This record gives sequence, C-alpha cells and structure tokens, in this order.
Amino acid sequence: MLHAPIDPVTLAVPFFILAIILEIALARLGWVKTHYEPRDTLTSLAMGLGRGIPGVLLGGMIFAVTVVVYNHRIFTVPFGAVWGWVAIFFLEDLTYYGFHRFSHERRFWWAAHVNHHSSQHYNLSTALRQTWTGGIAGTWCLWLPLAWLGFSPAQIAIQQGISLVYQFWIHTEAVGRMPTWFEAVMNTPSHHRVHHARNPRYLDSNYAGILIIWDKLFGTFQPELDEEPCRYGIVKNLGDFNILRVAFHEWIGMFADISQAKSLREVLGYVIGPPGWSPDGSRDTSASLKARWRALQAPAE
Amino acid sequence: MLLLAAIAAWAHLAKPMPPLDGAEARRRLADEFPGKALDCMWISDDGRGAVARSGGLALILYAVGDGYVARDLPWDQVAASPVQDGCLALKLHDMAAPRAKLAFATWPLN
Ligand SMILES: [Zn+2]
Ligand SMILES: [Zn+2]
Repeated sequence: MLHAPIDPVTLAVPFFILAIILEIALARLGWVKTHYEPRDTLTSLAMGLGRGIPGVLLGGMIFAVTVVVYNHRIFTVPFGAVWGWVAIFFLEDLTYYGFHRFSHERRFWWAAHVNHHSSQHYNLSTALRQTWTGGIAGTWCLWLPLAWLGFSPAQIAIQQGISLVYQFWIHTEAVGRMPTWFEAVMNTPSHHRVHHARNPRYLDSNYAGILIIWDKLFGTFQPELDEEPCRYGIVKNLGDFNILRVAFHEWIGMFADISQAKSLREVLGYVIGPPGWSPDGSRDTSASLKARWRALQAPAE
Repeated sequence: MLLLAAIAAWAHLAKPMPPLDGAEARRRLADEFPGKALDCMWISDDGRGAVARSGGLALILYAVGDGYVARDLPWDQVAASPVQDGCLALKLHDMAAPRAKLAFATWPLN
C-alpha cells in the first residue's frame, strides 16, 4: 500500500482544538496552571496552519522518493501484520529520536526546527508551532531506510502521524508527573517541558518522540527538577511575534553569517556546526552555556 | 484559529508582568547572563526593561508580550544610542530581534 488510507493528524484536529479550549477553560477556572499570551497563541496556530503549504509543495516529491526507495526494498512488511506495526512503532520512534537530536545539534537542521521552540510559553498551542522548512532541510531522508527495509510509504506516514498526535498532549504545564512506570518509559509533559526549557542545565536533552527510553539509552535524558523550574523559549528569544521571523530568522541569520565567512572552514562551521558556532568562539553554543553553568555551580558543590 | 486566539485573549492568562524593581531585574539578568557582574543598572521609566553595564558590555533586557528578551551589545554603542520619543532605540544586529526600545526619557544616565 502506497497511499495512507487515514491521516492521524487530520483526524486529530478536532481533538487538538477541543483540548486547547479545555486547557484554557481549566486555567481560567484556576484548576490548572498555564499561561496563554494571545499573540503568541495566534502565532503558534498560524505556524500549524501554514505548515500545510510547504507540505503541499514538497509532499509529492518526498512521497515519490519514498516510493522509489520502497520499490528497491530488501523485505516486504505486510501492511496488516501486527508484528509490522510493533516493529515500525519502535523503528520510527528511534528514527524520530535521531532526527530530533540532529535538528538540535547542527545549525542547518536547527534552522528548520527552531521555530517549534521559539515560544516563551509551554501550552497545547505550542505543540502546533510546527516547522515550515523541514522539507527543504531534507530531514525526511532519515525515514527512507524504513521504506528500504520494506515498510510501505503508507505505513510510515501513518506511524509518523501517530507520533505527532502523541506529542501534542505532552505540551502542557497542566499535567505534573504521570505514574512512575509511565514516566520511566514514555515521553511525558514533564520530560518534554525540559526539552523546551532554555535553562543551561536543560539544554539539548529529552529528544524523545513517544518513548523516553532512547534518551536514557543514548545519554541525553534529563529529568525535570523541582528546584529548577523550566524557563521556556530559545537561548536568544525572539523580539516580536512576527510569523515570518519565527519561520525564517535562523535561516536568514545563517546565510548572513555565510556571506561574511572568510574560508570554507567557516562556511562549514556556520552550516553544520552546532547552533551558535562562530570562528572565534565568541558566541554561545549549548556546550559553552552548559560549561559556564557547571563552572558557576562548582564552588557551591 | 482566530476564535481560539480570541478565547485565549478573553481568558486573560498572560503571565503577570509587574514593573521591574532592582531585585527582579538583577535576577532576570543573572538568568540571562550567568556569571556577569553588574557595574551599574538602570530600569526603564515604565519598568518593562533594564540596561546594565558589565565592563565593556551593555546587558539589555526588555519585555515582549508577557516575556523578556535579552541581548548584549558593546557598551560604547549603547551609551551613544539615541533617545527618540522618550525611548532609547537600540539596534541589536540580530535577525531574531533587530531592535529594542526601552522607555528612557533621557540617556545616558549617570
Ligand atoms: Zn526540539
Ligand atoms: Zn515540543
């Protein structure tokens, strides 16, 4: 099967809307803690809605490439087989972990992903602040090995949709901690709050999609600590709510840097170095921020 | 989409933004610029921003919506920046936040 018979994300849109209204209503009643800034909310929703435009423009090409790879597959996973769905659940989630980590650690891919982190809020509307430039960034290539293994393009698309829908509900401060067993295995609001935090201690951690086990396995897990509340946003927060700035600021910044580069090494540093890389090290990266934070903690310990 | 944003506006759930006092401005600057010593600091007239001097650097904090944005600039550039219509206008040379306006009727202050 090539074309997915259902799109989990489209099916979930009414749930997204109702859940946002519910979160706002519960916060209004004082039953849960959350904050909404109307311009921030509007920007997040518009980013979610606008995501469809590049999807239409590039979706066909991405689908075509996936079909070509699928036609050269080494196995065939039957669409109706339960074992196939179990296998793709883990393999797609591992792929997502790799994609997400890559998207934070290298500037070219961070330029596409940064907009998801650009809100200083953490509420259900933040989940919809999705990239417009992921297709251009080419990270979709990371899912091609699944087609080569024999998972149909339809099955891959459905599992990607399930992952995206799962990740919606974890964008909330309304849920404190889930039961211990759940926190141990699954990505949760607590784990993902840490991922959206700009506190140096929390930077570049919890890349999980559905399962937090990958972060624990690959050493990027950081639990949320009561003594360190999350401060949301990016290291250098945006100066307004302009949606074009949200979508493109890092791309423009990267190309401006490239235009000033004095050597191929500098070009490569600006493109595939970590976000914040500069030839003289004068700008902050996650690593330098974490190192400074550790140094400041040291005398107290 | 507009309806959801309108509901969010109706609910008045923005973070409280009381005018900055000295302690709060210092706490926020310490979060933004860990380890940087402040030689002196000025809070803007409306309490929605602050400028601090740390050696050759100016540390700038200003409100955007119900959050704060921070940047640093060479002190000399900030000291020489103009006041227009009661606001200190700063060029930040950053696509993510090109300019900042802080309510200072006069600048520089001593
Ligand atoms: Zn991320
Ligand atoms: Zn997120």
